[in-house]
Amino acid sequence: MEKELEHQFVTNLERDQNIAHKICRIYTNDQASHNDLFQEITIQLWKAYPKFRGDAKFSTWMYRVALNTAITLYRKKKRGIQTQDYDTVHFRIKAEEYNDETEQQLKLLYNAVKELNDIDKALVFLYLEDKNYREISETLGISEVNARVKMNRVKTKLKHILNP
Amino acid sequence: MDELELLKKDWKKQDTNYPKLSYDQIYKMLWKQSSSIVKWIFVISLIEFLFWGVLNIFFADNEYWKEMERLHLKDFTIAMYVINYLITIYFIYRFYINYRRISSTDDAITLMDNILKTRKTVKYYIGYILISTGIITLVYSYFMIYDHAHTEGVSEVSKYTFETLDWVKFIGIGLIILTLLLGVIWLFYRLIYGILLKKLYRNYKELKKLEM
Repeated sequence: MEKELEHQFVTNLERDQNIAHKICRIYTNDQASHNDLFQEITIQLWKAYPKFRGDAKFSTWMYRVALNTAITLYRKKKRGIQTQDYDTVHFRIKAEEYNDETEQQLKLLYNAVKELNDIDKALVFLYLEDKNYREISETLGISEVNARVKMNRVKTKLKHILNP
Repeated sequence: MDELELLKKDWKKQDTNYPKLSYDQIYKMLWKQSSSIVKWIFVISLIEFLFWGVLNIFFADNEYWKEMERLHLKDFTIAMYVINYLITIYFIYRFYINYRRISSTDDAITLMDNILKTRKTVKYYIGYILISTGIITLVYSYFMIYDHAHTEGVSEVSKYTFETLDWVKFIGIGLIILTLLLGVIWLFYRLIYGILLKKLYRNYKELKKLEM
């Protein structure tokens, strides 16, 4: 029974692991922290898994637990000075169809997102993942109207960071 | 906002650029130790309950009971102990219920609310301990002073008798020590939980700000 549950869980997580990696990407700045957060998300998902019922999709459920881990439960470990800009090294692969200007703009955008606070990052993340306002409000526990208001403020904030 | 749309487009393109962990790698992670703040709050709270519980037993040695008997406070003390343990058990029960309620499957605000509730239970417990200790100390002091004033034998043997001024000094020094002790305990708690809950409070406020 337990073995069956483990197998089910790991299979699900292996399939949907990108959700956790994306959250780690937004909330951490180096590879070691990325791995730490991913690890903690996995533990929290596994701990909460008995409560997961099949009536929702695993991925839908995973968004909530993983974000809660990043915003609330996870405690950063102290680390030494980081020498590498991990975002550019590991993820941003220059796509052929972008011109230099777009490429530059994207880099600035990613950096701007990194400057936001935890809650604003969550909003941007959910927006980038095409979640609607109902889902955003249910994930964070705020009303739909407030999720909209907040989202608009985040957009303004990003504009300010980009054009100070 | 066209910038965010641009970001979204790129975000989707990057989908294939993430690390890909194998089944075995993920499986191994299930058994690693969590370092979540909930775990730390749980551990620290248990230590707190234990610390104050043990302290109570430690102080109540035979001599203490003899002294209580002499002061005709034995029944009172026993009653205090029983009440104290009942209240402690109630606090531990509440703490456990709150702890069980913490679930990462809740929405963010509910999760934060529940974490803060467990923390508050322990805070109230410590508050109760400090206040009740203060009151009991006052009651005992009163009886001891009363006893001292009425035990002629003692005042004959000791050539030194307490004058009013000495009492004021005695009580004054006692109060200063008590205040210092409480101050240290308070600082200690601010430090532990300040570090532990800094991020949670910040994010909690950020979400609550909107709901007002």
